[in-house]
Amino acid sequence: MDLTINIVLYFVAITIAFLTIMLMVAATVLAERRVLAFLQGRLGPNRVGYGGVLQPFADFIKTMMKEDLVPAQTTKFVFLLAPMIAVITAIMAILVYPFGPTINLPLIGPLQLVIARFDVGLLYVLGITSVGVYGIALAGWSSNNKYSLMGGLRSSAQMISYELSLGLSLVGVVLIAGTLDIYSIVEQQSGWWGFHWNIFYQPLGFIIYLISAIAETNRVPFDLPEAETELVAGFHTEYSSIKFLLFFNAEYINMITVSMLATTLFLGGWQGPLVAQFPLLGVFYFLIKILFFLFLYIWLRGTLPRFRFDQLMSFGWKFLMPVAILNIILTASVAFALAALGWL
Amino acid sequence: MLALLFIIFAGMAIGCAVAVVAQRNPLYSAISLIGVFISLACLYVMLAAPFIAAVQVIVYAGAIMVLVVFVIMLLNVEEEERRRPRLKFLVPVAIGLAAVLVAETSFIMYSVRFSPFTPTENVSNTGLTSQIGTGLFTTYLLPFEITSVLLLMAIVGAMTLTRRSASLSPTARIVPGTQILAMDILTPGSSENLTAVETDTTTEAALLLGVKPRQAPEEDEEI
Repeated sequence: MDLTINIVLYFVAITIAFLTIMLMVAATVLAERRVLAFLQGRLGPNRVGYGGVLQPFADFIKTMMKEDLVPAQTTKFVFLLAPMIAVITAIMAILVYPFGPTINLPLIGPLQLVIARFDVGLLYVLGITSVGVYGIALAGWSSNNKYSLMGGLRSSAQMISYELSLGLSLVGVVLIAGTLDIYSIVEQQSGWWGFHWNIFYQPLGFIIYLISAIAETNRVPFDLPEAETELVAGFHTEYSSIKFLLFFNAEYINMITVSMLATTLFLGGWQGPLVAQFPLLGVFYFLIKILFFLFLYIWLRGTLPRFRFDQLMSFGWKFLMPVAILNIILTASVAFALAALGWL
Repeated sequence: MLALLFIIFAGMAIGCAVAVVAQRNPLYSAISLIGVFISLACLYVMLAAPFIAAVQVIVYAGAIMVLVVFVIMLLNVEEEERRRPRLKFLVPVAIGLAAVLVAETSFIMYSVRFSPFTPTENVSNTGLTSQIGTGLFTTYLLPFEITSVLLLMAIVGAMTLTRRSASLSPTARIVPGTQILAMDILTPGSSENLTAVETDTTTEAALLLGVKPRQAPEEDEEI
């Protein structure tokens, strides 16, 4: 009986999280268009609703109304499966992030503001992200189109390459924290007016993580899979209507996920001033930090040109990977020395 | 409830495993294999071994199968045609092996039912990350290190096998199917000057690259 209640609770929590994320995606899409427009000296969409706030919903309805084209000689089943894999893996990864401290509810009692907390939360995130490659690779393959195939191949190669440095950049944090449980990692970063945040212990790891994360989400300046001038639209060239929408959503959810991971691991998650007195302030801080990273994404998109593919590969393998390994060696040696001296 | 979850995931694993063998399109087989790995990971979670589950997904579904799918996509493997089984003696062998498997499973089920030990509820934390780490670096340190050396050997071996016999410059890239050579292949160090060099025949390209042909060609072979 207890298990059934738990499952119902989880179901409710997941539904709320899903709706929140979808709203965040809509907000990010709008913010991207508006901020990018201002960076480029334009106005951006500002007609639907006050200042254009309803623009994403209008776009959503319009895209849904489009004809759902399936090109001839596609592999139908895989063509349908690919966008599903992309969006499901993207959404699954958001479940483990704690978005606030423990709060006391009047009837229920203490409640940890995290949907799923378990021993290997960090590995879960990495595992789910690594499965997400299939969505893009299969979409490129099943479309029966050379641009899609090239886009899919580029994207998979890029994601596999940068996943390594992304994973390695997190090892430093794990070495300091001594656990893979994301909630504990956040709790360990409390106090000292924010100087316990891992970004101060792992500056190199943070930079490596940020670069690999941008590459992992296929964003500018690493948006080779969607290089419009060469590949039309990359792996989703042949997708229209709701299937395109799913890919579009997956990309933005991935951006949010990666920002959440950066926030929780390096910027102290929901930690901030006065959180001990007002726990709900933690949710606010968490959101602010995510928004900072999302703004960074848009800022970069408005600023940087695109890499060439060979530059991208050699940068990932010949520069980022060695630096990440160096960071691990450095962190481990310092941690070992401190432990040997008894300062830790 | 747990039994229901077990039936779902076990059924998924078996169904996908059958699909791996039964599908004629190699890519469908690969996708089914990914399904098997993910269902197995779910079963590991139910057995209180979250670390093994995560590693299963990361290594098998996330790394190895990506390479398999990659190769299938690049080689454009055709659907297999159904043809007569040539190795007919394998059929009785398969039946025999299946019988052994069924016998083993029933023996395990029998021995668990009549075992003098009663299963305890959730006291084991051997599946947790810290326990596995401690085990790997204390009790099982030697096997762990040997495995890492083995992996290193495999990496070095892969690199040795894919290396070309000619001494090309490290920035050289050879694109199959083209006859245009980058300038820096011919004179290493001139990576600034990226003028392409075009050759007409394979032998000419080989001559420029300083690669000795495997056997002396009797006449120039056009690609």
